[in-house]
Amino acid sequence: MNEIKIKSKNLNVYYGEKQALFDVNLDLNEKEVTALIGPSGCGKSTFIRCINRMNDVIDICKVSGNIEIDGVEINDKNLDVVSLRERVGMVFQKPNPFPKSIYDNISYGPKIHGKGETKSELDEIVENSLKKAALWEEVKDRLDEPGTGLSGGQQQRLCIARAISVNPEVILMDEPCSALDPIATAKIEELIDELKKTYTIVIVTHSMAQAVRVSQKTGFFHLGKLIEVGKTEKIFKNPDNKMTQDYITGRFG
Amino acid sequence: MTKEERLKKRHSAEKRFRFYGLASIFVALLFVLILVHNIFSKGSSAFMKTAINVEVFFDQELLEIKNDASDDEILEADFFDITIESLIKVYPAKNVEEEDAIIELFTTDAEIEIKRAFLENNNLIGKKINLEITASDDIDQLHKGNYPRDIPEDRRRISDFQLVIYDNLVENQKIVKNFNNYFFKNGDSRDPELAGIGGALIGSFYSIIICLLLAFPVAVLASIYLEEFAPKNKITDFIEININNLAAVPSIVYGLLALQILLATIQLPRSTPLVAGITLALMTLPRIIIPCRASLKAVPPSIREGALAVGASKFQSVFHHVVPLALPGTLSGTIIGLAQALGETAPLILIGMVAFVVDIPSTPIDPSSSLPVQVYLWSESAERGFVEKTSATIMMLLSFLIVMNFLAVYLRQKFEKRWN
Repeated sequence: MNEIKIKSKNLNVYYGEKQALFDVNLDLNEKEVTALIGPSGCGKSTFIRCINRMNDVIDICKVSGNIEIDGVEINDKNLDVVSLRERVGMVFQKPNPFPKSIYDNISYGPKIHGKGETKSELDEIVENSLKKAALWEEVKDRLDEPGTGLSGGQQQRLCIARAISVNPEVILMDEPCSALDPIATAKIEELIDELKKTYTIVIVTHSMAQAVRVSQKTGFFHLGKLIEVGKTEKIFKNPDNKMTQDYITGRFG
Repeated sequence: MTKEERLKKRHSAEKRFRFYGLASIFVALLFVLILVHNIFSKGSSAFMKTAINVEVFFDQELLEIKNDASDDEILEADFFDITIESLIKVYPAKNVEEEDAIIELFTTDAEIEIKRAFLENNNLIGKKINLEITASDDIDQLHKGNYPRDIPEDRRRISDFQLVIYDNLVENQKIVKNFNNYFFKNGDSRDPELAGIGGALIGSFYSIIICLLLAFPVAVLASIYLEEFAPKNKITDFIEININNLAAVPSIVYGLLALQILLATIQLPRSTPLVAGITLALMTLPRIIIPCRASLKAVPPSIREGALAVGASKFQSVFHHVVPLALPGTLSGTIIGLAQALGETAPLILIGMVAFVVDIPSTPIDPSSSLPVQVYLWSESAERGFVEKTSATIMMLLSFLIVMNFLAVYLRQKFEKRWN
């Protein structure tokens, strides 16, 4: 069992009057893939957006409770979100490359964080990030072409490469395969398996099969509450909770 | 109703709609055509001017200048006698009245034209040359066919004697049509044959540049702040509503505002492009902010999130990603706003640009006219010669507007990036 990387304690999230998360206590282990499953609107995405404080962007969103990364509280007004997001990368549901060249998509993050002072250092970061995202072979001859011209699966791997480029510790993935076809999905899943050697990964997914394939730990959310969390094998073979049982067997959701 | 009947009804509804649509487009095009035809048929003749070929003899006795006179001395010299002597020779006159009638065929600036020709060519003293002297606006209009000549003499501006001379000149091929450089070069004048839009062009140019320099940065910064940084609360809602209201305020109200504040209180010089530019900037500001904010809003939130997620600050995500994507829309909105400002008349009349200005402004604080105000001024003038000038000025104004609107479309299409 790996060490705990991220720890949430009594996490409550409100969108205006509406409460989206209720007292979530969830520990995420280092260099492991944790899958979050549950029906739409159950709060899984809200939860991962708390880990890199992406919810700050939404005016009406209020977060209370604690989230610690390596024992340091991140849900703190005085915390610099810029350096937090340097440590916690994110990949979104729909691929969202910048409408710039493939090279610029990857080099943007390192540039703003002052990594890669020289052109050759940047070139190296771009190459390494694309290699880690298993995209290098496909795009190495056309780095100056727009990132938006790639296929959906390639775009998503480009976004993963972009997240990797600033050398984060944690990568959050919000349904990264929901807009992709099965072949592209398989490639991303393979990639996630590879990436977990270096990074702590949290993935939100609607596909039970995907959760089983990629994750070591699974958390089941329902109506803003964390119903059950445990080893993926246990959750899918022998869940403690009746609701989890019903959801994974497809009786509701 | 059977299935076939319902289907037939649906098809005929579609056909009807297509017909209405086509008909509307046809009507709209028809109106544009009428407008363009009207302006062109009236205005195109203004680009040519009528001139009369005159033999000028630079008689040293009449000129009273030395052989090696400097340019300044020539400018000071009196060319009146030589002008009169040359002009009256185009037709034999019996008495002074007839001589006056002959001189009336020419522009009042005939003396200046002769002097200019003398300055441009060296050593004309004692020589004879043929010059094309601009005709008076009456002859100009007669030659262009805008004057009916078969009405009684007392209702004509041209006497029977003058008509005889005119016909004689035409017969001897002394009357020519030249490109009307005065129309582009000169300022306003009481004489239609000398009046030009030079002053109005420069005045409009200065006004629009000042308007752009003031309105563009303020509008862009205000839009970026309101759209990206400002909290969404009652105060920003209030500001937004008022920007929309300001865009709908009639332009004459801005003219009154400028009259009170810029002219009466701050005492800026009246009738100047500076005041016009500030007034137009006030008017254009909300009209630029609205398309600016719309194009910022059109940038998908996923781009902002993507930038924030790699650790860009709010400022970086806005200025590195959102603003460059919104720029084509912002620029085209600005150009269309400026095009509106270029055609604006009412506020400029109120700040005194309607004054009769002959000199061409050399700085933005010189009194000046502007293109739309020049149209207004000439459309009010009685002389027949100003009718074609009015339409020709409208043609110039419209061509500037068309160029600006094309530029707006071009910029938007060229720099707009596609995103998924």
